[in-house]
Amino acid sequence: MNLLRVQQPLDVHLRWLLPLSTLVILLASWEAAVRATHTQGLVPLPSGIYRSGTNLTLDGVIFEAMSGSLQRVLIGFSIGALAGIPLGLAIGTIPVLNRSLRMVLDTLRSIAPIAWIPMAILWLGVRGNAALFVVAYAAVFPFVVNASQAAQLIDRRLVDAARALGAGRWVVIRSVLVPGCMPMIFTGARIALSFAWASIIAAELAIGIKIAGQGRSVAGIGQLMVETLYVKRDVDALVFYMLVIGLVSLLIDTGLRRVQQRLLPWNAK
Amino acid sequence: MNSAVELRNVGKVYISARDGERVEALSGIDFSLRRGEFLAVVGPSGCGKSTLLSMIAGFSTPTTGEIMFEGKRVAGPGPERGVMFQDYALFPWRTVAGNVEFGPYARGIKPADRHARVQALIELVGLRGFERRYPQELSGGMRQRCALARMLANDPVMWLMDEPLAAVDLQTRIILQDELLRLWGDAGRNAERPTVMFVTHGIDEAVLLADRIIVLGRRPGRIKQVVDVNLPRPRAPLRNSPEMARLAAQVWDLIRDEAVQAITEESR
Repeated sequence: MNLLRVQQPLDVHLRWLLPLSTLVILLASWEAAVRATHTQGLVPLPSGIYRSGTNLTLDGVIFEAMSGSLQRVLIGFSIGALAGIPLGLAIGTIPVLNRSLRMVLDTLRSIAPIAWIPMAILWLGVRGNAALFVVAYAAVFPFVVNASQAAQLIDRRLVDAARALGAGRWVVIRSVLVPGCMPMIFTGARIALSFAWASIIAAELAIGIKIAGQGRSVAGIGQLMVETLYVKRDVDALVFYMLVIGLVSLLIDTGLRRVQQRLLPWNAK
Repeated sequence: MNSAVELRNVGKVYISARDGERVEALSGIDFSLRRGEFLAVVGPSGCGKSTLLSMIAGFSTPTTGEIMFEGKRVAGPGPERGVMFQDYALFPWRTVAGNVEFGPYARGIKPADRHARVQALIELVGLRGFERRYPQELSGGMRQRCALARMLANDPVMWLMDEPLAAVDLQTRIILQDELLRLWGDAGRNAERPTVMFVTHGIDEAVLLADRIIVLGRRPGRIKQVVDVNLPRPRAPLRNSPEMARLAAQVWDLIRDEAVQAITEESR
């Protein structure tokens, strides 16, 4: 029994070799299975994904679509932060405001952002603003929730200490409340960004359906996928897009964590 | 007028967060702190000694009576009354220098004007070389020194200290007691010294440091007795002397019964 033996750390080479060989075996049998059953075109091929990926990277299509989507995510995320952080801090510090707004906010928060897509299209049209609205909607609540909770949990004695040292209301807000809430707000930011990224794909997919290929909507990765599905019918490219979407959200989260370590060195453990 | 703080029939009632019961924390406190005196407040757990301190600091208001500081009614905290908290309450996002600097910064003093004073204080409390550390990276004793320097940066005329040495080990406590006396001006004259109100569990500590000791009783907290410590200063050489031991025993006699009672009541 392995459990009963003293655990030896794995050999360095083995540590890389094991997962790598799993991957190679998986890809090879996948490729072989698709070819053997002649299901190319319906089921993607690893070699096809690689080929599509190289082509789409070389002709720049993926970058163009990605920058369109990312731009909307960043704008929506920023709107969410600018509205959500002050609102959350205010709710967290003023009980009357909390009591007045909490129910409405919780109700709004329960509505999935993508459920707003039809209304957003009705109000803002398909030129990108509808997607932006959905993204901002998705991003604002994690900020509100985390900022308000952080403000409620702030150490009262730190506020007392600041006041005893001569701090007035604004110094307390700027130099105690805000820095004290920053770690939780950052956690909220990471949630907000992943929500925003998920919503932009969904929104673009939904908005893109009717007008893809007619060049009317602002192109993003979602629209590109719709076009690839209905017009080009290229399953390999679809899977390549999926991989890129995953990679980008991983990069974004890693980046945010780096920013957090840089901005809040006292909180880095 | 020679008193720094006057407590006139001060009482405090609050509603318990646990069971909504009405708790009378303090009742009928009538007392004056002389300017420049070192006053210690002792008493069993739950006698309201921290409540008393926080009302003089201005964090909470008395339910009855009034508190005067330098002839004016206390309406809130102020930089002339420095506070030291039991568990330091340092700002975790500020370095040692940033914490010490907070008072002058909060009062709007320009960075160039506050720098020299901050540096001098850091050296005074022995934290030179640790300016850029965060509080989490310091030992308990060093955090305590940082909190002391932070309080001193405002040159407060009154020091309000809530069990400031309770969280450090015994050896560190002895060292910090001596330093505290030195910084207060144990060898100096009364007029030049800040007024201190020092809340503590340590009866020996109270005898070592204070000119007078207020002994509080509990439920409701009221002044049981005021003990004069008529020992010469500087005090450090008198540590462990028979006179101090005798005074400590006298104070302990006043507290013992209620302290025993407090232990059993608290576990309910």
